[in-house]
Amino acid sequence: MKPVPKQDSLSPRVQELMDRIDSGLPEGRIPSAIMGNPEVYQAELRKIFGRAWVYLAHESEIESNGDYVVRKIGEDSFVVTRDERGNINVLFDACRHRGVQICRSDSGNSSHFRCPYHGWTYSSDGSLVGAPLWKNALSNMSKENNGLARAAKVEAFHGLIFATLDPTAPTLREYLGGMAWYLDLIFGLDKDGVEILGKPQRFIVDANWKSGADNFSGDDYHLGTLHKSVWSIGAFPVPFSENMMGYHIQASPGHSLSFSMAEYADEPGPNFFGFPESLAEHFDSVNISSEQLEVARRSRVFVGNVFPNFSILALPMTEDGAQHPPTGILTIRTWQPKGPGQIEIWNWFVGYKNMTPEEKERTYRAGLGTFSLGGSFEMDDTEPWLSVTKNGGSVAAELLDFELNYEMGLPGIGMATPVSDWPGPGRVFWTRYEEGVQRNMYQFYADMMRAEPGQWPEFQF
Amino acid sequence: MQQVTATPRPLSTADPRHVEVVDFMHYETELLDDLEERLWLTQLVSADIEYQVPVRETVERARGKGFSTNTFHLNETLGSLESRVTRGETKYAWAEDPPSRVRHFVTNIRVRPHEDGDEDLLRAKSNILIYRTRQSQTTPQMLSGERDDVLRRENGALKLLRRVVYLDLSVIGTHNLSLFF
Repeated sequence: MKPVPKQDSLSPRVQELMDRIDSGLPEGRIPSAIMGNPEVYQAELRKIFGRAWVYLAHESEIESNGDYVVRKIGEDSFVVTRDERGNINVLFDACRHRGVQICRSDSGNSSHFRCPYHGWTYSSDGSLVGAPLWKNALSNMSKENNGLARAAKVEAFHGLIFATLDPTAPTLREYLGGMAWYLDLIFGLDKDGVEILGKPQRFIVDANWKSGADNFSGDDYHLGTLHKSVWSIGAFPVPFSENMMGYHIQASPGHSLSFSMAEYADEPGPNFFGFPESLAEHFDSVNISSEQLEVARRSRVFVGNVFPNFSILALPMTEDGAQHPPTGILTIRTWQPKGPGQIEIWNWFVGYKNMTPEEKERTYRAGLGTFSLGGSFEMDDTEPWLSVTKNGGSVAAELLDFELNYEMGLPGIGMATPVSDWPGPGRVFWTRYEEGVQRNMYQFYADMMRAEPGQWPEFQF
Repeated sequence: MQQVTATPRPLSTADPRHVEVVDFMHYETELLDDLEERLWLTQLVSADIEYQVPVRETVERARGKGFSTNTFHLNETLGSLESRVTRGETKYAWAEDPPSRVRHFVTNIRVRPHEDGDEDLLRAKSNILIYRTRQSQTTPQMLSGERDDVLRRENGALKLLRRVVYLDLSVIGTHNLSLFF
């Protein structure tokens, strides 16, 4: 990796913390203060969320012309529209005239957005179409230069819409790097693709957004303690120790993932994340390679995070083990920052378009009962994150130079070993007793924080 | 979008059916406040229970209240409620151990005969406010909403057959929903 130049605008404290990530990571040390320090957070909004490709919506949420949803980049609202020509736009939700919010519903269908203040009106592609008493008020003013502000770049991958506010950003494909191979084998598994089931669930957790990203980068070790209760209700079919077998993968800088997978190809399963055989028989290599299809077949669990805050989880679950055997669920979520100590979690459930209505209903119920605000898995997840952030922002953490331990899987620590014959991209480790996936996230994080405007860290190892 | 408010006047608060529902709700609330969830489930909940908390969006007035008809925060059956209660009884249900302090305030109880005309069914709407603190919190988490219930007389006693909770929130301000409404 090229050395990343220092950025003058970081405060000395933030600069120090980023340097300590750099020096500490080889020993598995991260300063706790990054999880709650307000100066760090302010810098993140600009250096991370103001620049990275951020996930906003799936194309199936805005299927028809005129459909829109309101989503966040950092703390700021953008209207994601499908305009009258069928194109996707990501528009800053602020009128050109006085900066007033122009979209007043969370989602809907409309050919126009009319500002409630003076009535400036924009079409769903963001262009200014008029304002009241145009002749008297604004005749001869250019409409072309007064459309809604737009995200600098917008791209979709398997229908997943991402945007960046930085015109110097690389292409989405370049940014995703090796992660694209793994997103393929989830979202491209069925040739007809996926769709979002219903509306997003949104809830507030008094924690730092990085706790979510960290956990979904591949924190499998916590299942044995934090989620011990779910085995007692039969929510998940793979015993804990067996579930720790699998691969930890740093797909490319920043993006990490984890597979629960047996060592041998003829293992008993569950296969394809537990999706039913009736569905899995449609999975094919039309859009993905036969290697990707085989990795998906052998996967019991997939969990991953696209830096900074877009996470994906596929695994067999049930909300009612006595009545329904576990079935594959697919949840995607964003960890929206809302302050150094607050996240708004957005949680969507995803189905394959080719599922029958009954299969969609089953996967939705199983997902909702486990990985949601009221789900048996997730309700415990948020509990420890509260104090990660509280302690991170504490005076004691600062005065004691309190550091978090990410040593698992460092050379000589634990059983994880590098894998050389893996079919996909990235740095790969066997067994999931490993925290390189998180170290990869924090290294890229520190590199992004220190990158000067217009400069980017490497996207390949 | 679902219509939440029904139009006919509710039964008088002096009507025996109203009184019976109030008694049911006061006892139910006591069990939930006291974390007697197993007792609540076995004594007051019908085996055919449908228990839902729909997701809500902000929408223009003309589009109604913004409740989703197919997306939920909770969408429970007896089996999933049973799982939930059993999970809470394990030693590893960290979300509620140490438990939250939870207080349910139930008001504005409006009872009506069920629209099907079945005399074993009663429709009961109520306002609910849940006040919750954890650990040393002094600022409570609060959840306010309307419960739209159907109660059924089973072997002479009322049981909760359906509950839909319409929350006054589009973004839920609690870090989990490890409680019952």
